Amino acid sequence: MSRNEKTYRKGVKVSEGHGAGEWRAERLSSLILVPLSLWGLWGAWTIAGSGYDGARAWLAQPVNAALLAVTLLIALWHTNMGLKVIVDDYVHKPSSRTALLAFIALLCLAVAGLSVFFIGRLALGSAPLPAGLGA
Amino acid sequence: MSQPAPGVGGPTNETDPDHTGRFVRQPNGRVRPLSPHLQVWRFHLTMTGSILNRVAAGALSFGALFVAAWLWALASGPETYAGFTAWMGSPLGLLVWFGLTLAIAYHLTAGIRHLIWDAGDGLDPKTATWMTAVSIIAGAAVGIGIWVALFASGKVVL
Repeated sequence: MSRNEKTYRKGVKVSEGHGAGEWRAERLSSLILVPLSLWGLWGAWTIAGSGYDGARAWLAQPVNAALLAVTLLIALWHTNMGLKVIVDDYVHKPSSRTALLAFIALLCLAVAGLSVFFIGRLALGSAPLPAGLGA
Repeated sequence: MSQPAPGVGGPTNETDPDHTGRFVRQPNGRVRPLSPHLQVWRFHLTMTGSILNRVAAGALSFGALFVAAWLWALASGPETYAGFTAWMGSPLGLLVWFGLTLAIAYHLTAGIRHLIWDAGDGLDPKTATWMTAVSIIAGAAVGIGIWVALFASGKVVL
């Protein structure tokens, strides 16, 4: 679609750029996170006060490990989009905006990667980390 | 498309300067109304609900770091985990987790409200205000309720 062409759906203008896709991704992630965050609160309730063994036992169940990984991945995707909206609102200098968005995206990716790595080790019952890293 | 709607009272073309201060020329040359600023807006509940939701979202961004840190501590063995839970079980740590619980509870209720609005429902002022009040009260009730239950069940002790 060319940038000058204006398309309307139900009387509302469809975005000329990538806005519609971002809007949809924000809503889709929100919708998925409604049940997942309720599950997460319930999981946190189960783990609370159960100590190291209780937390390990909870994560040793494949369902919990898988759901936690999925929850964190979608939550961090949602976080990245949400922080981008905040930066778009308040940071107007293009170079600062680009730098900040890159930093946020990298941070979200790093947290997602590390979390999945930890969850994987915990689910597989690996030895405590420093040993696993060869230290 | 470069002009505000008739009757708005803004500058109508490129040569007509804006004397009201309520319009701004975008980088692409288009004249658009300036974003409404807090000091010229009469208070209404929906704007409180909106900014609280953004504050909660910001807090939850840090919450993700805390969850990742918890996973790291758990994956690092019993000694590291004991140190981590000692920090997080301190009054300050518990306050942080209580704040995060409130944040996730309100972000959830406000998010559901937002999704209903996104579907095009509940957008008249009366319903929007009512939905905002419900989301704030329900979010606070869930967040505080969880912690009352945590202390009552002995799962968390000070």
